[in-house]
Amino acid sequence: MEYTRFEKARIVGARALQLSMGAPPLIETPADVRNPVRVSMLEYEAGAIPLTVKRTASHQVKAS
Amino acid sequence: MASAQTLNSLVKTYAFDKSTAERLVEAGFTVTSAKSADKKALMAAGFAGNETEEILLKFSKGKRDAAARRGTRKVVVDDRDFESTMVKVETRDPDLLKKDALLGKHLGEGMLPQRIVRKLVDGGLARGFSDAQLKLAADLALEEYNHAKVDATEAAGIVGAQSIGEPGTQMTMRTFHFAGVAEINVTLGLPRLIEIVDARRTPSTPTMRIFLKEKVKGDRAVATKIANQIEMTLLKDIAAVDADLGSLEIKVVPEMERMAEKDISFEDVLAAVNSVRRITATEEKGGKNPKILVKLTEPNFKNLQKAVEDLKKMKVKGIDGITRLVIRRDDDEKGYILFTEGSSLKEILEIPGIDHSRVLTNDIVQIQECLGIEAARQAVMDEAYATLQGQGLTVDRRHLMLVADVMTADGEVKAIGRQGVSGQKSSILARAAFEITVDHLLQAGMIGETDPLQGVAENIIVGQPVNLGTGAVRLAMDTVKLAKLVKTMPTPVSTVPVVVEAPAMSYEGTAAGSAEPEFAEEPEPKEEA
Repeated sequence: MEYTRFEKARIVGARALQLSMGAPPLIETPADVRNPVRVSMLEYEAGAIPLTVKRTASHQVKAS
Repeated sequence: MASAQTLNSLVKTYAFDKSTAERLVEAGFTVTSAKSADKKALMAAGFAGNETEEILLKFSKGKRDAAARRGTRKVVVDDRDFESTMVKVETRDPDLLKKDALLGKHLGEGMLPQRIVRKLVDGGLARGFSDAQLKLAADLALEEYNHAKVDATEAAGIVGAQSIGEPGTQMTMRTFHFAGVAEINVTLGLPRLIEIVDARRTPSTPTMRIFLKEKVKGDRAVATKIANQIEMTLLKDIAAVDADLGSLEIKVVPEMERMAEKDISFEDVLAAVNSVRRITATEEKGGKNPKILVKLTEPNFKNLQKAVEDLKKMKVKGIDGITRLVIRRDDDEKGYILFTEGSSLKEILEIPGIDHSRVLTNDIVQIQECLGIEAARQAVMDEAYATLQGQGLTVDRRHLMLVADVMTADGEVKAIGRQGVSGQKSSILARAAFEITVDHLLQAGMIGETDPLQGVAENIIVGQPVNLGTGAVRLAMDTVKLAKLVKTMPTPVSTVPVVVEAPAMSYEGTAAGSAEPEFAEEPEPKEEA
């Protein structure tokens, strides 16, 4: 699903917060990557973040 | 003249019909005196009983209507499904439908505006595109279009304001420029932009550009004739008005050359003079040039003075407000164009010989009254864009589109400032933060108002995330996805320091190794904030 840059930022940020508070990562990460934001971004690119965005009619988003 | 103002006010604010209003003005009423007049006074002024009732009713209603129109705008939340909000423009023209289909089949899930589709098809057909080429065109267009779209919840207002404001700092303050025609001055630059955004009723330099019909635009004589019809000529411009204090009469002596220039006949002048109230005009014979003798119906000094003034300022020919007119030949146009100082769109459109579809004016309110609010919206955009362009600045039209939309969304052209859009926000805090702080807070406190905290300013004041950008994103857990991911997630590696059990100690002293308990390798402390 095509996310706006705001949605992406929010998703990555929320996941990074979760990781920083002890949530286990959902993908394998290289050993030197420990920063929660970087891990979260890797998870995002792998499509491995279980968060979605609720959109209403006032949210008209780019067609994918 | 005060009576013209009264007339205007009576018709506009209190919705009187023209004849009643004229009678009220004739009777010597001003708006204030008429409002407070009682039935007796009105009847004394010559109104019948039922008429006085209507008049009284109109005055009490007028105030209530004006107050109702000043209401505040409430914020409306739109939760409808996206599909139901799309406006589908249907066409039944088979040619157009065929064309639309030519490109439409290549679009698939994507959507392009109808105008772009039509342009693509027309361009493609003109160049003899094959189907594959059309598909390529469609794909490229779709890509460009999606790339150009603004993200949802983007702070378009702020971006637009800054995008217009920043070049605004580079604009000159100097107002005048000849706009291509030597005699006519037009307000330019920053002052003009301020006029537009403040939705001023009349611009400081109203001006029109009038094009002529295709057939006659090259004919100078026709252009001059039309120009004479339009340019406002006052009596004093073509005649000498002299008052004879002894006999309490006025002599009007028309100058024949001036009259010929303006294409006005003596009879026109006589008729016009006669139309002035409380005088009678007759032709005075004798001498080479005809003269007009003006007698007062009530001969006294005051009336004489007033009559002289009225006569001098009286319009003999032309359209009210068009103080000046210049005819110019333009090469691109291959004909003559009329430039005016002064603007009167409704009247100009009635003049035969002009090209009605191309008349231009810079008075936005006139455009709204004559051509509608959508035309006014377009005018706001065009005038603003032209003003910026005139200073060598290019602002993306979408920012001006937003400003124009906000100004015209409620059906009338509203100013941006506190008497318009900004003053009508439903949030108390937002209005208090804008201007006149204490008044808004006091008023709200007295009534016991609530602030719904939906907008930007009030949330900043209160300290909550704003409903823009990331703050407008509502996240939810996708439990199905989570269940799947958990199955494949890597085994977690503990990063907590582990304490190894202390080895048993003998009374003789050291155990194997040392007396201290061993610790597992401590991981490095968390770096990188």
